[in-house]
Amino acid sequence: MSALTIAFAGSRYRFAGLNPEQLDLVRSRFDALLCADDTQPDVEVDVHYAPNPEGFMRRPVGPVEYRIAVVHGEDSVAVAGIGFTANIDRTPLRAQMQTCLADEWFLGAFENLFRVIACYRLFSEGALVMHSAAFTDGARGFLFCGRSGAGKTTLCRLAEELELGILSDELNAVTTSGGTFELQAMPFAGDFGGVPTPHPPYPLTGLLGLAHGAAPSVHRCSKAEAVSRIVASCPYINADSLLVEELTSRAAMLIERVPLRILSFAKDTRFWSVLDHEYRNQHAALSR
Amino acid sequence: MSTETSTQHYRVDPHARFRVMDDEGIFVLQDAGEVLVVNEVGAFIVEQLKAEHSLDEVITSITERYAVDAERARLDASSLVAELLRAGAITRS
Repeated sequence: MSALTIAFAGSRYRFAGLNPEQLDLVRSRFDALLCADDTQPDVEVDVHYAPNPEGFMRRPVGPVEYRIAVVHGEDSVAVAGIGFTANIDRTPLRAQMQTCLADEWFLGAFENLFRVIACYRLFSEGALVMHSAAFTDGARGFLFCGRSGAGKTTLCRLAEELELGILSDELNAVTTSGGTFELQAMPFAGDFGGVPTPHPPYPLTGLLGLAHGAAPSVHRCSKAEAVSRIVASCPYINADSLLVEELTSRAAMLIERVPLRILSFAKDTRFWSVLDHEYRNQHAALSR
Repeated sequence: MSTETSTQHYRVDPHARFRVMDDEGIFVLQDAGEVLVVNEVGAFIVEQLKAEHSLDEVITSITERYAVDAERARLDASSLVAELLRAGAITRS
């Protein structure tokens, strides 16, 4: 059995107990984020391989999208999905995973659990992890929060046409550093796909919700709508009764510093000239 | 059709959180990970319900605070209460 450590957004996650097949699968996906040194990890995850599928959620016959089950307890969070169960201890944050998978289905189970663990880890560090699309022009970071169907993947495809740097079309983190907010890529992608690659943090210049419209425009919204859009976009944490008050407070603090606006866009690249213009002075301010 | 009585009391559902922000209100519905926003009047109604006022008392408060007649206030309050009950944001107490 072997272990590996994956690092991103300032945290290290060590997965131990992987069998050779599981190890190869994880390496193939997260190769660019693997750590070679022995620095103490921030989160340890023990993986226990139990090949008998009895007691695990069965595999469907064909491809399927499903929601993992997450139950929030006082001391721990229980997670279950196809072929795996897991328990995440809140303090110190660590996890145990049981799985009957060692083929390509394992990678799906691994990523599903990793998302939850990463959300808890980053939240404990003061961050907000949002269902969102994010890209950068190299100097400014733009985050667009929204759930499935909001247009995140479409926006990423359009941004790619414009040769903007895509962070993720699924999950991105907003962290704080020296009183400013930074945008951090998470190694999870939705329909846009792509292999996780390391990204530096970018200043969070634009924080936006998405709406469909015939012509691109950016408009303001009320504080309540802004906070609600952010809270609704923070998976797992927004369903955790022990953390939801803190989450709402953090969202309110964030929009005081980086107001959330609504981007209406059609399926074309005209949105970028509107965004670039709307936030053009932000570049100068951030560069000073 | 609403079956709410005018003497009924309500409270925020134990699985929901409510907060007022710049006069508007936000419900976080934890079980679903959903969020609802209510406008200024809606936030006022929820605050009144949280203060253990009955629907009738809330309607009276609305007419005193806003320039609306009792019938309009009753329609608005009943409609909001029914919607919040359906969403699991409030519950009968």
